[in-house]
Amino acid sequence: MSERVTITVDGIPLEVDAGELLIKAAEDNGTYIPRFCWHPRMKPVGMCRMCLVEVEGPRGILLTTSCNMPVSDGMVVHTESETVKKAQEGILEFLLINHPLDCPVCDRGGECPLQDQTLSHGPGESRFVEEKRHFEKPIPISDLVLLDRERCILCARCTRFSDEVSGDPLIEFQSRGNNTQVLTFPDEPFASYFSGNTVQICPVGALTSKPYRFRARPWDLEKTESTCPHCSVGCSIEVHTSQNEVIRYQGVDNDDVNWGWLCDKGRYSFESVNSAERLDTPLIRNASGQLEPASWPDAMEAAATGLASIVEAHGGNSVAGIGGARGSNESAYAFGKFMRTIIGTNHLDAQLGDGLDPHFLVGSTPRGVINDLDTAKTIVLWGPDLKEELPVLYLRVRHAAQQGAKLIVIHPRRTGLDDRATFKVVYKPGEGPALLNKLVEGDPGLAEVRAAINEGPVVGLVGRTGLTEDPRLAEAVAAFLRELPKATLMPLARRSNVYGALDMGVSPRLLPGRVSSASESGKAALREHWGSLPDDFGRDTIGIIDGLADGHLKGLVMMGSDPVRDVPSGNRAAEALSRAEFVVAIDTFLNDSAAAADVVFPALGFTEQEGTVTNLEGRVQKVTQAAPGPGQARPDWSILEDLAHRMGGSIGATSVNVLFKEIVTVAPAYRGLTWVDLEFGEGRDGLVMPLEEGDQPIQYVAVDPGLAPTKAPLALHSARTLYDDGVHTRFGPSLERLVGAPMAYLHPDDAARLGIPDGGEVDVETVQGSARVQVGFDPSLAPGTVFVPFNQGIGQNLGSAVEVKLEVVS
Amino acid sequence: MITWSKDRAEAAQRILGSYPERRSAVMPLLYVAMAEYGYVSEQAMRDVAELTGLTPVQVSSVASFYTMYKREEVGRYLVSVCTSVSCHLLGGDDVLHAVEAETGVPHGETGPDGTFSVEHVECIGACGGAPAVQVNYELIEGVTPEKAVELCQWLNATEPDPLLGDEMQALFGGQRSFDWGPSESTGSKGPVPAFGPYSTAGTDRLAGP
Repeated sequence: MSERVTITVDGIPLEVDAGELLIKAAEDNGTYIPRFCWHPRMKPVGMCRMCLVEVEGPRGILLTTSCNMPVSDGMVVHTESETVKKAQEGILEFLLINHPLDCPVCDRGGECPLQDQTLSHGPGESRFVEEKRHFEKPIPISDLVLLDRERCILCARCTRFSDEVSGDPLIEFQSRGNNTQVLTFPDEPFASYFSGNTVQICPVGALTSKPYRFRARPWDLEKTESTCPHCSVGCSIEVHTSQNEVIRYQGVDNDDVNWGWLCDKGRYSFESVNSAERLDTPLIRNASGQLEPASWPDAMEAAATGLASIVEAHGGNSVAGIGGARGSNESAYAFGKFMRTIIGTNHLDAQLGDGLDPHFLVGSTPRGVINDLDTAKTIVLWGPDLKEELPVLYLRVRHAAQQGAKLIVIHPRRTGLDDRATFKVVYKPGEGPALLNKLVEGDPGLAEVRAAINEGPVVGLVGRTGLTEDPRLAEAVAAFLRELPKATLMPLARRSNVYGALDMGVSPRLLPGRVSSASESGKAALREHWGSLPDDFGRDTIGIIDGLADGHLKGLVMMGSDPVRDVPSGNRAAEALSRAEFVVAIDTFLNDSAAAADVVFPALGFTEQEGTVTNLEGRVQKVTQAAPGPGQARPDWSILEDLAHRMGGSIGATSVNVLFKEIVTVAPAYRGLTWVDLEFGEGRDGLVMPLEEGDQPIQYVAVDPGLAPTKAPLALHSARTLYDDGVHTRFGPSLERLVGAPMAYLHPDDAARLGIPDGGEVDVETVQGSARVQVGFDPSLAPGTVFVPFNQGIGQNLGSAVEVKLEVVS
Repeated sequence: MITWSKDRAEAAQRILGSYPERRSAVMPLLYVAMAEYGYVSEQAMRDVAELTGLTPVQVSSVASFYTMYKREEVGRYLVSVCTSVSCHLLGGDDVLHAVEAETGVPHGETGPDGTFSVEHVECIGACGGAPAVQVNYELIEGVTPEKAVELCQWLNATEPDPLLGDEMQALFGGQRSFDWGPSESTGSKGPVPAFGPYSTAGTDRLAGP
């Protein structure tokens, strides 16, 4: 608890935190001081001078900027005196010297701080009659952002954001005085993963985004709060719709999660929601083997008959389910219940070959939350490149490191956080276990790192650095880190609602509510609710693919999943799908896997359904319907209920509300949650649901770090990038262009040794598959490493084997 | 890849070594880069960015703020005429017009033959000897329009190298601010400021050959 001081604002005494900025203290207590450059999530600069107030001091009453004035005890402040009004009017008159006042044709008009504050605090009339500045307009500063320089009031919000917050300062003030303008360097576009935030925080219409420019007027937009579905961070967003179409997403300042920031993939993925490629009618494979549109009753009948005949002939155990991580908790719960009670199988998985033990992901203790980063002395990241996989978590770690937390990054390649890392350790894939042993034993080479991580509180961010890494390594790392002083763990997986799906028991190893499927009492409790529960062993996604390929499994139900594109051995998944006797897909797009199904159902997607999701902290947040879906698409849970009905049962999914109420009854970890709380109450920022005493927590057993390192002359590092070739990038015109080309990266020394020129062509070969790609140089790799970005045209066929061979083509 | 001459590359490392933060070295490094390329080219800014760990646009932000970082090629002789208050009151504008007329180069530009660049500048600290002119940052005080014309003709005819302020003062100057004491200038060899012994870049001259 920080010290409290008393200040007087406009005659009203206020008790506020010592050292807080005056503008913030006043705003929190109901006095709004106008501002342009100050942003609550960035450092103050006092550039625009709009927040002038009078402060009484020993030298008399002084005009001062309230954005960089910390409060002190006994401070007396006037925000509405004649002097203040005159000063603010003067500042606005100056700010408007060059501003074009083209509000009627400006995207910002209607939600523009300059427009609003000119009305509320401005002089009403300008004495300036001179010609205004003119610039070429608009100029594209990146693939997504356009700049109209004559509108800019030089508040530096965008340049400070890119420097301070996102760490890619590619825009900056150029020139001086009347010629000052924000610009990029020639041939170096503002290629930031976070560029959309500058558009959102621009206090005028100088920065606009291509996907939104000239598409709507702000007052025509309906605004619905929801949660971004694109990774497991769970950023709070506002969905803006007009005439039943999603127009844009804006970040919402959620104190526990995203602080108002979004990554560009999340922000601009709304285009894929509106894609014309969305599935809008059921499809059935006809006699000639083609998928053709069908009516709902026909498709239902075909799916129910197909599944029922397999269950009858081979048992429920011969059918498997993949998916659940892309939708809401309610859909995932319905999927799990459908697979386990109606089909009668334990072969179901929401992770697609991500490899991490579900117990590790949702059951690691002590489990940390994102806000722990801000109080941590030491942050250890041994896991994915956060900038690529969990972008807004990257911003939070970056901020914590900037505030003084020691950051240790261990990864086979450069990561976005390297410039803020106190220590960065690069290793060759496969040699992680040896590195961990060195760290544990305090090897002299790592003595400094070892000493640094001993200072608590420690936050351990642990996940797989890439798809070729032994998943048990992450567990071993976690087992080591949890013993450090005041340590908390955040196990990392990127897939959007994977934590929610696992909490809903969509895993062979879990039952709803973070209960182990090996727990007898957990199973007994669930049987009471569900009536039945299969007892057999369940396969995970890779096991399911193997089972389908070798004929042990006959049928498959996919819900919001695309194993062909998404598992590390996509070609094997494709083979498995072609061998399966009967496949049902419930999806929003006809993706590569759904295209191999016998019956495809069109599902409602994000912004089209109500529900809850759970992020990587275990935080439950609300997703909200803001627009209708395309054509005849239906909610996935309702499709499953209908299927269950035709197969002679029911999963009780009469509405999403009923499902949620069942979840809070059945899932111990979700007890006591209500939608009202999540939407209007204390849960607006989401609620982290811990297990209560008396519940049956799953026991995450740490593995012995005696893992054997894999020795390979050339080792493959395969990791996901932000703009991979997934449906939300492929079907969004703006993001589609940002998907990287298929590449393999080598250390220049290795390339020289192997005689491969920069830009040369090679065949990358592993035991699981091969791909022909161009070579790029990456000196940040450990020698002997080949880095192939996953799912950029190729990569998904190379599998998860560490050892790799290169065949030079040219 | 930085392809500076050996001397300049060493100077750059020396400069970097004298600051606890690498980005603090941006300004002196920009002079080294300017000496290397003759002006602050895009490549010069990329080089400095590489040396300081900044992005090129951050370097360009600094380079474009200060007018002494020339971002276009400069003539052999950069004639800077002061038009701040003291010089303005004592005829600095007339001196500027005389220089423009004699060289045929309007202020802010470089002549087509590359001999002269002409600019008007803000106060160059010679108010006591106004009006003042600099050629390649070497100072001449008490310049009349007529003397300025002679100065340009002399530069054109004799092509002095190095260029010494004291010499020009004796030939074309008038009233000086005060007694300067012993001159420490080693003279200018090009339109890149040479700080001599007071250089933040050490004692070495950074100007090009």
